[in-house]
Amino acid sequence: MKQITIDPITRLEGHGKIEIFCNDDGEVENVYFQVPELRGFETFCVGRPVEELSQIVTKICGVCPGCHHMASGKAADAVYGVKPTPTAKKLRELFYMAHFVHSHIAHFYALAAPDFVVGPTASPAERNILGVIGKVGKEVGTEVIKQRRIAQEIQALLGGHQTHVVMNLPGGVRKGLKEDERKDIVEKAKGFIEFSKFSLQIFNDVVLKNNEYVDLILNGPYSLKIHSMGLVDENNKVNFYDGKVRVVDTEGKELYKYAPNEYMEYVAERVEPWSYLKFPYLKKIGWKGFVDGQDSGVYQATPLSRLNAADGMATPLAQEEYEKMYKTLGGKPVHATLAMHWARLVELLYASERCLELAQDKEITSKDLRAPLTNIPKEGVGIVEAQRGTLTHHYWTDEKGIVTKVNIIVGTTNNNAAICMSLKKAAQGIIKKGVEVTEGVLNMVEMAFRAYDPCFSCATHSLPGKMPLIVNFRNSQGDIIRTLKRDSN
Amino acid sequence: MHVNKLLILGIGNEILTDDSIGIRIINDIKNQLKSIKADFKTACTGGLEILEIICNYKNVIIVDAIKTVDGIPGQVYLLTPEFFKETSNISSFHDVSFLEAFELGKMLEMDVPKNIHIIAIEIIEDLIFSNSLSPVIENKYNEILDEVINIISTLI
Repeated sequence: MKQITIDPITRLEGHGKIEIFCNDDGEVENVYFQVPELRGFETFCVGRPVEELSQIVTKICGVCPGCHHMASGKAADAVYGVKPTPTAKKLRELFYMAHFVHSHIAHFYALAAPDFVVGPTASPAERNILGVIGKVGKEVGTEVIKQRRIAQEIQALLGGHQTHVVMNLPGGVRKGLKEDERKDIVEKAKGFIEFSKFSLQIFNDVVLKNNEYVDLILNGPYSLKIHSMGLVDENNKVNFYDGKVRVVDTEGKELYKYAPNEYMEYVAERVEPWSYLKFPYLKKIGWKGFVDGQDSGVYQATPLSRLNAADGMATPLAQEEYEKMYKTLGGKPVHATLAMHWARLVELLYASERCLELAQDKEITSKDLRAPLTNIPKEGVGIVEAQRGTLTHHYWTDEKGIVTKVNIIVGTTNNNAAICMSLKKAAQGIIKKGVEVTEGVLNMVEMAFRAYDPCFSCATHSLPGKMPLIVNFRNSQGDIIRTLKRDSN
Repeated sequence: MHVNKLLILGIGNEILTDDSIGIRIINDIKNQLKSIKADFKTACTGGLEILEIICNYKNVIIVDAIKTVDGIPGQVYLLTPEFFKETSNISSFHDVSFLEAFELGKMLEMDVPKNIHIIAIEIIEDLIFSNSLSPVIENKYNEILDEVINIISTLI
């Protein structure tokens, strides 16, 4: 063992960086955001029984294992052509609502709130969750940890483990819910609702009552007019677990509504030589480049796009907040990237209310946990809304259910083009001739993609702490004239 | 407070080639170090998640993978919070870094550990899915394991 000075490198270095190309006047001409890609997951899955995949996919990363578990479970249902029992479906959705609660709480308080509560150009030493707690009080911090932990405990109870979930089987779930456990979740869900309302109140007080922030959201360089995607129920209300994928255009008009097994007719993926991640786009429109507008094939799948793509929320309090959001921001659809933070809080409230609805449903304690498998397995698609966007799992098997091929489109990948375009727009709007590129300026650019809650963990595994940014500024000849590097710690 | 005041925690992704080394080491040493009064646990992500795991322990030893500039594969490092370096899984991109989580725990008067040591193992491959270590790390695994056990012995 040697005690020496070491210089850790991250998975981003060498691959992941923002390249900003400036012209002769020092203004931004183009921006590229590159991330590395993990390799071989599909190969890793081939040759395994399809029912194993829902457990394996939770290990792609530790950030949204529940989403992969649910999409995988639904894909396995489809492979066997089986419909889960009503109780199994409710248990899955209950687990999933808890997953959304814990994830959205973490994102708002750890990643979004620092920019607004502490300030977008504040010192990085203060612009973090510690700075947020310092401003809003320790009681709030304690509540953040508590509510997040409770949501994790519900997932562990239903899923067998909060991260390495073992809940789903084709046609159902492994384990039921006892009556005393159901009653306990009812009380916990009431706590989620109160905390969601409190979080929306913080957003109202800190962001909406600050004209500078409202102006930044509505008129800053953070707007991107592209199509919106999201899963909706039979009433076109937002649904995270089930339904059809709905796409609305830049004016909010429905373009498509399709079942999960039709996704390949509507979504195609493009490869760019400078990126390791693919760029999905709307197939029927086609790839028109990194451009926004009605004729572009670029779409986004985010909390904001889910609200744009739906006609409303399926629970009453979330619906009130939904209406307030669109009224405040000038009607549907909203294209202000930073409004994603508000949309995420509306979703937090919806997930909390839905959690309560499901826990109050007495059928959820039924022992009818699994439907029989009677069909020969073949091929199936499962789609859910992950926190970061529409998540698609597509499996092919032989007649014994052994996996022969896998295709996964993860939430963040949907937004790859949109993130690149948002970054370019933010950089062009913020970095002007004569503007000193400080840490604060860098953060203002970074805010453009942080709003997407990007998780490249499905592609890059866990990254350390805050995104370790490497930004290269290049002149019109392509030479690097300055590099800004911010380590995660 | 837990019955055992010492937690030995391995973190990593068990299907991401060398990234799994912290998990594998914990699974091996919990049998070899049965006489030690410690809890042996594994986890796959850091940040707020790890804060909840380490709270209520007095002493914590974390075993994780690391990649460093010009690092020698299989090299074992002992890190303390004073000389903290980001290992592969100790922080979470989705919420907070390990140091932020630790400071948050102190700020909220949670029962955070008095002593934290991080044992980091220099790895080669963490971008390819595989439930095997890379050949170089696999060949050195027994040496690595012995060194980790020696370090733990000096810490308890």
